Amino acid sequence: MPMFPTDLWFQDLIAQINGSVEYREAAATWEGDIAFLVEAEPDKGVANDVHGLLDLWHGTCRGGGVVDEARGTAAAFVISAPYSRWKEVVLGDLDPVRAMMQGKLRVHGDLPTIVRYVRAANELVNLCGEVDTTFPDEV
Amino acid sequence: MRAVVFEHAGVVRVTDVAPPEILEPRDAIVRVTRAAICGSDLHFYHQKAPVAPGDVMGHEAVGVVESVGGDVTSVRVGDRVVVAFDIACGACWFCLRGQTQLCDDAAILGAGTFGGDLRGAQAERVRVPVADVNLLHIPDDLDEERALFIGDVLTTGCYAASIAGIGAGDTVAVIGMGPVGFFSVQAARALGARAVYGVDLDADRLALAEWAGAIAVDASARHPATALADATEGRGADIVIEAVGTTAAFESAARVVRRGGRVVVVGMYAGETVEMQLGVYWARALELRFAGLCPVHAWWERALAEVVAGRIDPAPLISHRLPLEEAPRGYELFDRREATKVVLIP
Repeated sequence: MPMFPTDLWFQDLIAQINGSVEYREAAATWEGDIAFLVEAEPDKGVANDVHGLLDLWHGTCRGGGVVDEARGTAAAFVISAPYSRWKEVVLGDLDPVRAMMQGKLRVHGDLPTIVRYVRAANELVNLCGEVDTTFPDEV
Repeated sequence: MRAVVFEHAGVVRVTDVAPPEILEPRDAIVRVTRAAICGSDLHFYHQKAPVAPGDVMGHEAVGVVESVGGDVTSVRVGDRVVVAFDIACGACWFCLRGQTQLCDDAAILGAGTFGGDLRGAQAERVRVPVADVNLLHIPDDLDEERALFIGDVLTTGCYAASIAGIGAGDTVAVIGMGPVGFFSVQAARALGARAVYGVDLDADRLALAEWAGAIAVDASARHPATALADATEGRGADIVIEAVGTTAAFESAARVVRRGGRVVVVGMYAGETVEMQLGVYWARALELRFAGLCPVHAWWERALAEVVAGRIDPAPLISHRLPLEEAPRGYELFDRREATKVVLIP
């Protein structure tokens, strides 16, 4: 099982995205790459910040994975949170759009654009939950 | 007389300067017995805020009144006094409402043109304008080192905690365990906070936070937002005091506070900018209060009472006592975070 937030985990997520009819429909007009900035929590086994990129375009993911900081922060949308928050997202315990409005997930980029694609965002989170995941603070 | 002067970015030296004189009838000359290096001195030291070569540094001092102008009424020669770091007129609209940091004639000792070109207090003597307003008597039973910080960082911590509206049961986070953070922790506890979390990266400062009664959060090992969420059933701190003055600290403060919570920004800023999602701040119903400089005159008697009563203890903060001549080393130690507070003895 891939460990979150490794490159292997993001590759599995990309496969889930590209296999999802629901996501393809919800994000049919979405254009823009999204980076997940998973902020370090050394006490939880995440020693350094991790930038995970998804090149999302018209309902599919054209590529991505763990990238360096320069590439990650250059994405059209950067969503950042401590590892623990991301874990809640992956487990489906945190509504992503509500979390953005509450500041639990911090968005760099045009927030209203993401909010307009609420269904796509929720599908993306659902797909995170489809990845058979292990977590560094549970091994 | 000997004084600490700015030379160029990252360098101060101790040199001879002309002794101060009474220039106005409300002036006093104070013979400095203890001066301190403040975190905001480092802003000038690094030219984050401008001072010119030859400007006398410093604004935290205690001493003995050596001479007074003809219109000074409340202090006399020989009095032991604390010097206010920010100099106020005491008579304008703002001063009469306790906002002395917003005084029409506001000035700051040792802050160059930015502070009204007043000489600093890291010297054998300092001229204090409007002495009746800007000097505070030290009680006979209080030693001068316990009084030293009442002119700035100690009272600033009390001010930050007070305007934060801390009440019984509140969970408070203080970002930055430098001197202002250290005193903010003590003041927050004195105000009845249920728990106070002190966030920093530096082990010595975290130890001071624990001494002051805070739960230390080492941000190099634990994400502050997670630490405060874990402590509050996921909500975040009721009140956050940002006591650093960097954009990272500001953003950290905004992230550890709960929805509907309050952030007090007491750290000093100059030209920094941050990107704020206003809709997120609005939706979170955050209260954001910029403290500005501490209106020390409006708060220092209350702060003094806390020290006299023993509810706030400045002593553990002092890591180094150096002769004035060793001020350059003191700046280097403080700048490298190898000192938590440096006291200079002229």
